[in-house]
Amino acid sequence: MNPFRVALAVARKDLRSEWRTREVVPALAQFIILALLIGNFGFQVDSRNAASIAPGILWLALVFAGLVAFGRTFAAEREQASLEAMLMTPASPVAIFAGKAVAASLLLIACEAVMLPALSLFFGTPFSADVVAAVLIATVGMAALGCLFAAMVARVRARELLLPLLTLPLWIPFIIAGGQAVQSAMGLPGSYSEAISLLIDFDILFLVLTSLAARFVLDE
Amino acid sequence: MNRYERAAIGAVALMLIAGAAIFFYAPTDYLQGPVQRIFYLHVSSAIAAFGCFAVVLVGGVIYLRNESPAADRFARSGALVGVVFTTVTLVMGMLWAKTVWGAFWVWDARLTSTLVLWIIYAGYLLVRRLADPGRQAARFAAVVGIFGFVDVPVVHFSVTWWTTQHPGPVIINDALPPQMLATFLFTMACTVVLAAVMIAIRYRIETLVDEREQLFDPAKVLVAREPEPVQ
Repeated sequence: MNPFRVALAVARKDLRSEWRTREVVPALAQFIILALLIGNFGFQVDSRNAASIAPGILWLALVFAGLVAFGRTFAAEREQASLEAMLMTPASPVAIFAGKAVAASLLLIACEAVMLPALSLFFGTPFSADVVAAVLIATVGMAALGCLFAAMVARVRARELLLPLLTLPLWIPFIIAGGQAVQSAMGLPGSYSEAISLLIDFDILFLVLTSLAARFVLDE
Repeated sequence: MNRYERAAIGAVALMLIAGAAIFFYAPTDYLQGPVQRIFYLHVSSAIAAFGCFAVVLVGGVIYLRNESPAADRFARSGALVGVVFTTVTLVMGMLWAKTVWGAFWVWDARLTSTLVLWIIYAGYLLVRRLADPGRQAARFAAVVGIFGFVDVPVVHFSVTWWTTQHPGPVIINDALPPQMLATFLFTMACTVVLAAVMIAIRYRIETLVDEREQLFDPAKVLVAREPEPVQ
């Protein structure tokens, strides 16, 4: 079986089931709006300090929304015990994993499409291509890592506890580089291009590692 | 006295000698005064922690290749001992920082990446506790250990890659007077021996635990579950 077609089929299946149920994206979009609201009242944001606070709120909201999104990817499969069924087909586990990761990242990108305009609407920060690019580039690597650990903890008892515990430390490189990129895109000091190239390095590193490890996580 | 007890006593004795060297042989730093003596154990335990995490990495890779329970036990032991030595590094570093920088913590790349290292391997230990014991826990932990090791070179090179408040390498840059260098090298050797002994003892404990639970031998589990023959 062609692994690309398998991955595509799995991704299409996940996106179709999300389209029919409309569970994850509306819930996460609302979660993100609430996070912006909490950020506003937690920090006392005004037009002078918005540029220095908004990037932090952006990454906090994105990281926790990402945890929920990736956790859900495998939770639905677990409830139906359908992951085992998929693994019994001759399709390679890596292709199945890739398909689920692509679908989960597209869902997270849909939430980012809500978050970034809302951020600039509420905080008056610039909504530029630079900000969007930084967030999207970080999403690639974060999605790979997040899905790997989500697949791993799906069959563990305390999965809600473990997923953030395992994923967040490994996301920190993305938050450091992505934070710097968004800060400089919003007019704070710091080199944008340097941060972006660091993000791309992390993307490549973790995509390679994830594709090597996926077999051991799914294959039982 | 068995060989583990002898090894433990030997390692502790070596650490005491190292302590004597730190306080009585090494000269007092001209600028920082006696607090600089933290340096010897602070850097040594960081190196020992890196060694322990290398054990976790190698153990994890071997486990994923051939499911060797011994490799997994080494990885488990290495992670626990590595977290202990990372804790020592962080705590001693904070005490030192309070005196010379005026704050326990600054968010520079070296300190942040070391804290992340601690969190990653503490997470590794939690995976071991929370996942169903046996193959599943071992596999997941091996993956975490391999991914977590990515942070070790980041910690090591953080002082060269970024501008940090934490000083850069002093050993390879020949910045130490000979007596300090000798004390440091001796302390480092003793700390690495201590770490190795701790891993060996922990390995023994893990072996006993595995034997008790017989997790890695499905055949024995089956035999144990067989009903008693009716007389």
